[in-house]
Amino acid sequence: MEIGGADFIRGLALLGAGLAMGLGAIGPGVGEGFAAGKACEAIGRKPEEAGLLTRTMLVGQAVSESTGIYALVIALLLLYVV
Amino acid sequence: MFETIDYVQASLFFGAGVSMGFGAVGAGLGEGYAAGMANEALSSRPEKSGEVIKNMLVGQAIAESAAIFALVIAMLLLFSDTSGQPLLKAWAFLGAGLAMGLSAIGSGVGAGLPAGNACIGIVRQPASSNKILTTMLIGSAVCQTPAIFGMVIAFLLLFLDLSAIPLHPGWAAVLGAGLSTGLSAIGPATGEGFATMEAVSGVARHHETNSATNRMMLVGLGVTESTAVYGFLISLMLLFYGFEESHTLTASMRLLGAGVCMGFGGIGPGLGEGLTAASALRWIARKPEDTGTLSKTMLVGMAVAESTGIYALIIALLLIVVI
Amino acid sequence: MDELTNISQITYQLFGYDLVFNVETIMMTLIVMGLLLVFSFFATRKIYIIPHSVQVVAELLVNLFWDLTKDTLDEEMAKKYFPLIFSVFLFVVCSNWLGIIPKLGEPTKDLNTPLGLGLLGFVIAHYSGIKAKGIGGYLKEYCEPIFFMVPLNIIGELAKVVSISFRLYGNIMGGAIIILVVSNLVYSFVLPPVLVMFFGLFVGSIQAFVFTMLTLVYISLQVK
Repeated sequence: MEIGGADFIRGLALLGAGLAMGLGAIGPGVGEGFAAGKACEAIGRKPEEAGLLTRTMLVGQAVSESTGIYALVIALLLLYVV
Repeated sequence: MFETIDYVQASLFFGAGVSMGFGAVGAGLGEGYAAGMANEALSSRPEKSGEVIKNMLVGQAIAESAAIFALVIAMLLLFSDTSGQPLLKAWAFLGAGLAMGLSAIGSGVGAGLPAGNACIGIVRQPASSNKILTTMLIGSAVCQTPAIFGMVIAFLLLFLDLSAIPLHPGWAAVLGAGLSTGLSAIGPATGEGFATMEAVSGVARHHETNSATNRMMLVGLGVTESTAVYGFLISLMLLFYGFEESHTLTASMRLLGAGVCMGFGGIGPGLGEGLTAASALRWIARKPEDTGTLSKTMLVGMAVAESTGIYALIIALLLIVVI
Repeated sequence: MDELTNISQITYQLFGYDLVFNVETIMMTLIVMGLLLVFSFFATRKIYIIPHSVQVVAELLVNLFWDLTKDTLDEEMAKKYFPLIFSVFLFVVCSNWLGIIPKLGEPTKDLNTPLGLGLLGFVIAHYSGIKAKGIGGYLKEYCEPIFFMVPLNIIGELAKVVSISFRLYGNIMGGAIIILVVSNLVYSFVLPPVLVMFFGLFVGSIQAFVFTMLTLVYISLQVK
């Protein structure tokens, strides 16, 4: 199997894109789930504060997502730009 | 260097080893947890030993089933007929071993966790032992579905006639299919185990609300399963989408990248959504009148936690279809 | 699969540079603007004390966001920034929902729209920060807690823009890709509409809400 230079680079770039998004999805997934779980507990304790608790959960989850989005950006760059 | 049949047989044995090796991990962990909790339960009430040991054995049997699937695949691999198989089959055997072995990890753990909590719950409330057992059985059975996905992919890879797929890039498609289902089944199965564990404890504490708890448990388990379904979908696409023959590294790496991406990407959201369902179920059992607010928050939180799993699905689909 | 990679564009030459317009995105944005204008017109035409029809919906949304804004900023700051926050929410949620109508697509599917909205929030937040704290106080914030943190703080600010824009883009574009691929694979009447409902309505609303909340939080971080 003859592998040329440009082909080799593109091939490994695609594999890298897959690894980036794959591994990058692990952390935010677990973290956001844990945050949602604790929000459910808090709402169970005080259902009348549901609005404030849901809002805080969403903001916290959005910030936790940041690294997952960086992984998405790198994966898209590797797919389309490199 | 070697003959084709040497490669095929070598990967056959390697795949069998991988399958049983990984498959033993989950069942061991889960059954150990069940046994430990059974002893802790018995220490507070030794006279309930009959009930508790029966429950422990039932739960351990369910946890064992994923490892038995892995044993079946390993046996099939060991005694498979290798005469006249193309070189692509070597990669297929490796992929089959990975798919079954990795997916059995999560299911073993996920079925053992509720068994432990069921033993503790029975000792606390011996009158509701039937309800506890029912909840445990339902939840553990759903936890086995990711291992079943792995077994289906392993069977497809073992027995499907792959002569229509060219060797390059077929080798990456086949290996990626195995990795995608195998890896992405770990997270959801473990997460479903956490959720069922809390549901069983909840039913033990408040047995009169067990119907609401069971219903919400099934909803939570269904949503947590989604990333395993994405992994299964990408595996099926990698196996059945017609790829032309191409000797470039790009064509192979994009398929392997798609498999790896969805595989790893299914772990995190599955675990996280399981944790969400666990906490929500703990409070739904306590206060079923708040089920509306709690289930709404649970579903919204799960949907946001799913986002990174969806990003991984997007990148995998882009790699297979668009690039 | 060509629908993803064919982008109809018009290119003009200006002073030796190329001006490229994505026709589909501009048409969809104009449709969203038209829809929002019609909605506002009907909601405020005759204002009753006890609201009727369209006014109910409008009052519901306005109340929800007014409470949010008042909780995050002080009363007078909230009055100043509330129209911006609510307009951003209405625009994003209407854009995300436009994909449900056949033959129309969401303007947020093109990276330019979320990036533009993100930059809008970023510029407004930092401009308000400079106006509230003076240029000296604003620059001193970057040196917290130690002088060596300046490059990291600058990167952190840019990362905020990137993260909110790409989150919205990723979720909406991703939904469109998934629906496209699944419709090509499976011949079904039931599956594509269910997917469109989930990705368009549910995910679209949540992402619009998260985008608006984060813009509000970033403004409040700069202003307080």
